[in-house]
Amino acid sequence: MRELLDSVQYDSWVLLALLAIPIVAAIAIWVHGAILGEDADARERGGRAARQIALWAFIIEFVVSLGLWWSFDQSTAAMQATFDRSWIPSWGVTFSLGIDGISLMMVLLTTFLMPLAVLGSWTSIRLKRHSYYALMLLLTTGMLGVFVARDLFLFYVMWEMMLVPMYFIIGIWGGERRLYASIKFFVYTMVGSLLMLVAIVWLGIRAGGAGTPDFAYESIRQLASTGGMGTGMLLFGAVVPATMFMFLAFALAFAIKVPMFPFHTWLPDAHVEAPTAGSVILAGIMLKMGTYGFLRFCLPLFPDAAMYPAVRNTFLALGVVGVLYGAMVAMVQPDFKKLVAYSSVSHLGFVMLGIFAATTQSIQGALMIMINHGISTGALFLLIGMIYERRHTREIAAYGGIARVVPLFAAMLTFVSLSSIGLPGTNGFVGEFLVLLGSFQTTPYLAMFATLGVIFAAAYLLWAIQRILFNPLDKPVNEHIPDLNGRELAIMIPLVAVILWLGVYPAPVLRRMEASAELLVTQVNATGTAVATRSAAAGRRR
Amino acid sequence: MLLQHEVLPGHPLAGTAAAWMWLLPLLPLLGFVINGLLSLIPATVLGPSDPDIAHGADGAHGEAGHGEHVHALDTADAHGAHGDDHHVVVRHRFAGLATFVGPVVLAASFALAVAMFLAMRGLGEMREPFVQTYFSWMPAGALQINAAFQLDQLSMMMVLIITGVGTLIHIFSVGYMQDDPGYPRFFAYLNLFVAFMLVLVLGASYPVLFVGWEGVGLCSYLLIGFWFSDKANADAGKKAFIVNRIGDFGLLIAMFLLFANLGTLDFVGVNAAATKFAFGGALVTTICLFMFLGCAGKSAQIPLYIWLPDAMAGPTPVSALIHAATMVTAGVYLIARSSTLFSMAPVASLTVAVVGAVTALFAATIGLKQWDIKKVLAYSTVSQLGYMFVGVGVGAYTAGMFHLVTHAFFKALLFLGSGSVIFAMHAAYHHTGNHDDAQDMRNMGGLRAFMPWTWILMWIATLAISGIPPFSGFFSKDEILGSVFLRARESTLADAHWLGIPGSAVLYAVYALGLAAALLTAIYMTRMMLYTFHGPNRSGEEERKHLVEAPWTMTGPLVILGVLSAIGGWLNLPHFAAFAGSEEMLGHWLEPVVGDNQLRVTLGRIPEAAGNTETFLIGAAVAIAILGILIAVVRLKPARLVPKAQSPEEQGFERVLLDKYYVDEAYDRVVVEPTVGLSRGVLWKGIDQGLIDGVLVNGSAKLARGLGGVGSWLQSGQVGTYAWVLVVGVLAVLGAFTIR
Amino acid sequence: MNGMPLDLTIPAQLSFALLPDLLLMGGAMLLLVWAAWRAESVEHQRAIGTASLVLLALAAGAVIWFIVRGIAAQPGPIGVDRFRWIADLVLIGGTAAAIMLSMDYNERELIVAPEAHVLILLATSGMMLLAAARDLMVVFLGIETMSVAVYVLAGMNRRSARSAESALKYFLLGAFSTAFLLYGMALVYGATGATDLGIIGDRINQYGLTSSPLLLIGIALMLVGFGFKVAAAPFHMWAPDVYDGAPTPVTAYMAASVKAAAFTAFFRIWYEGFSPVFVSWHNTFWWLAALTMVVGNLIALRQRNIKRMLAYSSIAHAGYLMLALTVNSAASAEAFLFYVFIYTIATFGAFGVVVALGEPGERSLAIDDYAGLWTVRPWLAVAMAVFMFSLLGFPVFGGAGFFAKWYLIKAALQSPSPQTKLAVVMVLTSVVSAGYYLYVVMVMFMRPRLASAVAPARAGALTRFVVAASAILIVVLGVFPERFVRQTHGSAPLTATRVSSPQSAVPLPASARR
Repeated sequence: MRELLDSVQYDSWVLLALLAIPIVAAIAIWVHGAILGEDADARERGGRAARQIALWAFIIEFVVSLGLWWSFDQSTAAMQATFDRSWIPSWGVTFSLGIDGISLMMVLLTTFLMPLAVLGSWTSIRLKRHSYYALMLLLTTGMLGVFVARDLFLFYVMWEMMLVPMYFIIGIWGGERRLYASIKFFVYTMVGSLLMLVAIVWLGIRAGGAGTPDFAYESIRQLASTGGMGTGMLLFGAVVPATMFMFLAFALAFAIKVPMFPFHTWLPDAHVEAPTAGSVILAGIMLKMGTYGFLRFCLPLFPDAAMYPAVRNTFLALGVVGVLYGAMVAMVQPDFKKLVAYSSVSHLGFVMLGIFAATTQSIQGALMIMINHGISTGALFLLIGMIYERRHTREIAAYGGIARVVPLFAAMLTFVSLSSIGLPGTNGFVGEFLVLLGSFQTTPYLAMFATLGVIFAAAYLLWAIQRILFNPLDKPVNEHIPDLNGRELAIMIPLVAVILWLGVYPAPVLRRMEASAELLVTQVNATGTAVATRSAAAGRRR
Repeated sequence: MLLQHEVLPGHPLAGTAAAWMWLLPLLPLLGFVINGLLSLIPATVLGPSDPDIAHGADGAHGEAGHGEHVHALDTADAHGAHGDDHHVVVRHRFAGLATFVGPVVLAASFALAVAMFLAMRGLGEMREPFVQTYFSWMPAGALQINAAFQLDQLSMMMVLIITGVGTLIHIFSVGYMQDDPGYPRFFAYLNLFVAFMLVLVLGASYPVLFVGWEGVGLCSYLLIGFWFSDKANADAGKKAFIVNRIGDFGLLIAMFLLFANLGTLDFVGVNAAATKFAFGGALVTTICLFMFLGCAGKSAQIPLYIWLPDAMAGPTPVSALIHAATMVTAGVYLIARSSTLFSMAPVASLTVAVVGAVTALFAATIGLKQWDIKKVLAYSTVSQLGYMFVGVGVGAYTAGMFHLVTHAFFKALLFLGSGSVIFAMHAAYHHTGNHDDAQDMRNMGGLRAFMPWTWILMWIATLAISGIPPFSGFFSKDEILGSVFLRARESTLADAHWLGIPGSAVLYAVYALGLAAALLTAIYMTRMMLYTFHGPNRSGEEERKHLVEAPWTMTGPLVILGVLSAIGGWLNLPHFAAFAGSEEMLGHWLEPVVGDNQLRVTLGRIPEAAGNTETFLIGAAVAIAILGILIAVVRLKPARLVPKAQSPEEQGFERVLLDKYYVDEAYDRVVVEPTVGLSRGVLWKGIDQGLIDGVLVNGSAKLARGLGGVGSWLQSGQVGTYAWVLVVGVLAVLGAFTIR
Repeated sequence: MNGMPLDLTIPAQLSFALLPDLLLMGGAMLLLVWAAWRAESVEHQRAIGTASLVLLALAAGAVIWFIVRGIAAQPGPIGVDRFRWIADLVLIGGTAAAIMLSMDYNERELIVAPEAHVLILLATSGMMLLAAARDLMVVFLGIETMSVAVYVLAGMNRRSARSAESALKYFLLGAFSTAFLLYGMALVYGATGATDLGIIGDRINQYGLTSSPLLLIGIALMLVGFGFKVAAAPFHMWAPDVYDGAPTPVTAYMAASVKAAAFTAFFRIWYEGFSPVFVSWHNTFWWLAALTMVVGNLIALRQRNIKRMLAYSSIAHAGYLMLALTVNSAASAEAFLFYVFIYTIATFGAFGVVVALGEPGERSLAIDDYAGLWTVRPWLAVAMAVFMFSLLGFPVFGGAGFFAKWYLIKAALQSPSPQTKLAVVMVLTSVVSAGYYLYVVMVMFMRPRLASAVAPARAGALTRFVVAASAILIVVLGVFPERFVRQTHGSAPLTATRVSSPQSAVPLPASARR
């Protein structure tokens, strides 16, 4: 496999191709739609063609990206499959891409979920299909761009770029309160990201020295390691180092995206109002960008700010709060989609805990949860979408006992829920176990509290599926729901397969992450301990 | 790559049948896959005995019919819920295939287990466990968790029980579930359970064990809620899972502590490193206590026993296999497995013993007043599990495991026996369309005449559980109580202090509790037998005609289990009862695993009771048992009993016992309702919607719009206003420039 | 001839340096005669319009010729530098757009006033003078030439009372502010004895006038005057009413070009002349900038009329541009030009859409009239969305609008006295601006088309051209900005050395740390 890929210089073009394919397909869809013209049945035909184009584009995308699995060299933490072109030289902005152990799985997750998302909206989307699928394609470019950007400016552009398509997807094809949800989602995210923009500019200028700025990730990391961040500023009589402001600016953007308690309230609205595919992408991929940002930028670039005891403990605590809070609020949701949305808050809380605990296990676990949550929660949203198409309600109370009527659906929902609960043998367990075990090394008490989340997870999901699948079949309207059809099975089977694979044999995935995770840990802990000693010394002086 | 065997070099078992141990769980798993696929095909067809074509017509409705059908079978109250009365009997189209697959895979793995056992016997002495590593499961930095199985005397024993008893119960189920539309689904779950149970006992490290640990919990969840159309069953399943999760929390924490302090999680490594702990230190004690929390959840000990009685909502074979013979004993197994740790932590061990003893007595008292035959057995299971924990708690790991074995025999027998009783009762009710409770003993009575086999076999089991020699229960129970007594005299436990109380005092108290529990056990078991099989029959004129013994697929397993419960004690005969070389066979067998740890508890000496002490101990045990039976026989008058319908409300303490001390209600009030209330009232409505969204997010938006409103109000359109604002601005600017 | 720089004391060379401006001015005069000659008619109006477009093309050609030849000049009353030329090009482009829009608009609104185009040209010549001016006299000349013409343009729609009202308001308050400006200039002259910016700067250093009250009050009054011209809070009150009442193309012209021209002069004066006293005016600018951003954005939130909304958004953008002035560095000059350029395009594009969707009699200008526009005029809706995102400063979909903002932030952080806090204010206020820009997008795309609403009539070709061109330009520049960014390099005018400027050893006084 390796040889084959090398023979076509796979590494030299793959990332660019991954970014380009969706754009090309999107343009194709729009042109095709424009050619067909306005009249109704032409639109209809165009819509069908659009979803076909989108599906095939995404399948090609996935196949292309799949090569990374083999071409990736798991022995090194260095950036691989790099691609560098100058973009705006006079601003020191380059178009440079690359992946390492952290972004590899995120890229694969994205390319894996997108075709399923298209299939998920196959019949549910009727209005303006061209634009819908075209936007989904553009969105994919943005998301992949975030994961593969090796230039902070490029990263920011991609980061904002993916916001707009999602805004339209929620706002146009969403539910009743879609207008509120979409604007909330947009503004919420923008608040954080614009401060990050200022921080990025600051860093770029610092890295560039006297001359033009330099936004390349490597050089900014260089700057960070040499402590060239510039002096701090006076705040309430204490000199706060500039890195702290930088860190906070980045952290706010990412914390909102994650979303970390208490910045999470955009999520339930967005998830509930978005169309199925939108929810899948939001939960499956977009939330990961927050945690990815922490792993890629916040910790490596500002380690001593991130590991500064007060800051670190705050984030750890908020992570744990998120775990329990999300789970408890999820427990009492009458709307199944909202329940899953809050469960995301809980899962991502685990990730935050793992990231800031900063041990090899906890960070690898965090990465695993990022993947697992993408798969399991994505699958849950898809299932909700399927049943919604049949009954047009997401109220848990509207169902009950349907396991008799739709055994396949019941089996799928139960299985996916169990993986989301973290049953050993499914993917969910691996991540949570590693995170908890890893963070227990550094913060035993918080980890113990987080472990309680495992109980709540069982509580809210089992209670929900009992009220939906089990209990007496007491509502006549539920008695003749059709079971899953072939297309829907085609969506679910890959997901189930991955859930099992990652649960039983995650080693290949973990090994591909290991080098990067360990590098991160060493970077962080080196400074982390330094800070600890320094603050301790300061304490003694005081 | 997957399944690369990396065998311990030069291990004697390498070449033997034991090398195939990975096949043990794989076979039932295969069964699960096949039956699972069958069950997903909506393929219920009308059984021959189906009176009602219309309802059998489509699968969904067939199941609906089945819903009521089965409730008639298992939970009486269901009839109140669903009034309609059509006993649709629906056979699954692939019932035949499932019948073949389900039991056969079990029999196959039992055969393999026997082969492995013989291989081990062949070696004679085997100190090192036989570990097989298949692939790396979770490699993360220092943490290296492999998918590995470990075979030693302890796991071998468990494997034999699981596959052996499992096979019998599978065969029993063929008869018991024959008319159930969920037939293949049932066998799928059952097979899956066995697979996970085998993973549990074969796992070579705590995480792998945990896979089985939660896996069996899952299967128990699925099987308890097997007839999910009744809310009570679904609730019971959910309750079981969540309560078990609370226990798993403890087990997880224990694992984290182990890794944090020993840097390894596989049994070999832990046992090797554990001795480095400070003896009786806080750390090892904490680890053991957290681990015991897990055991208490899985094995239904106070305070987490509440799920087990409800678990009887499942089909009776499930109760026999999962909630009596195998799964619920996993906690005992785990402590024996971790005996090195527990023997290092006297205080934790004492806690285990005390909790076990209290549970034993507590559950026994509840058992006294239950009318539902399966509920009686459920509480007796909880009580017997308490016994086992007393055994492993006082460091008599062999005794605990011994009781586990015998209990597996006679409790499985009792459950299956009750199963065939219920089967007969229901069949009778079915014929006459009676909707009375088929599990309430007040509706039975005098069944001896109708089902003699069941009657005899269940009496054997009853005598066994009551501890009447020479039945198996006598030896195991006697050994537990004896070792408690002896360790109270002299052991690390006796020297330790538990909550300030001297260990020896605690142990004597435990011994007393054990005796009391034994008395009650004898009483309620005899009561059950009397009300069920003796006295006049209360099931009604018509029904009586149709009361018959169950088919041989069901009675056959009963017979085998009967034999085992009768002679099971032979496995570990004390020296006074021993004949040619049969002394302490189980003890010798398990010696490589737990021997050193038992000695650590008993200060290196094997406790020997002086002749008279021993006679006293045995005498006490036997006397108590006989006394209990006599009390029951004398005081209870089956003749006076009236069917459930006419029987009066219990009063006073009887009422309290019948309602299980209102523990469930208490948990609801204290734990469940407050949690839900907090989540909904404070967290969701209050913080989420009120504070964050209402005040902060939308509030700031409103604020912005409000300020904008002020601005646009100034924008009146009057040039005068503008001029004034202009002037003010001018003055401000001038001021800013000039005033320094 | 580009060997030696022009000597502007020689009239011939001075007038040569003014070639583009004179070209435009003269041509405008001729067109005026022609316009008055023939009877007013639609065709005539179109002809005049076309002619003025040609004239603009000539002027643009002249400017480009100057750039290509790289002609320089010694310091004098007018600047011959990149700053001026780029500003000129932006202004000419804007003017062309304005004329094209009004050609369609006037036809629809039945305004047959060929001289309107000529007035626009005259105003533009004044603007170009402003862009060139390095002498307070010339500045005043330019301002008046521009303003007087625009007063008339605002009231061009004689049939509309609101148009007349807006003209009157504009005139009154304009006169008011011109007085301040003139008075300020007089005081500055009194303090420094010079009107040439360069000399003023040198004199301030020479005579150590950094704290002369005469000079400071003069600067303050000029600040007021310019603050009015660029509609910076609190001198912005006229803008919404005037923009609202004036004919839409004129509104666009005022919101984009007039503002841009005023800003170029504004920038050059403070950069070349007053930078030596940076510390003295820095704080005031800081506060005016912040205030303008806040006021513009907050009030815009409440607007439900598209023209008023854009009026307030233009105030907000004035605030952003004030940031460049507050920074007052070479880098900020480049950022300033880039921003003005992009802002002009986006503004004309947006107003172009307004013109395209407006109905005779300036009706249907409520944002809610655009409900469901996407379903009937998808391309217009998409273009409008691009302009909105661009004004919001959003990458890719907002195209170069993001780069413009980014350039400003970069300048702010890179300057010797980094304006980090002001940059933060800027980004936070632009978050607020999302509130109203996205409202337009939301209405167009996410609201259903009202049953009562009829599909808007097909817009004129020129309007569609303006809209399409601006949209494409923005998006293309949003992906490949490099070409244009390089043009802005070295476009900063010359500046006098700062004596008491903060990048020297002394740190900013505490008051400047706000």
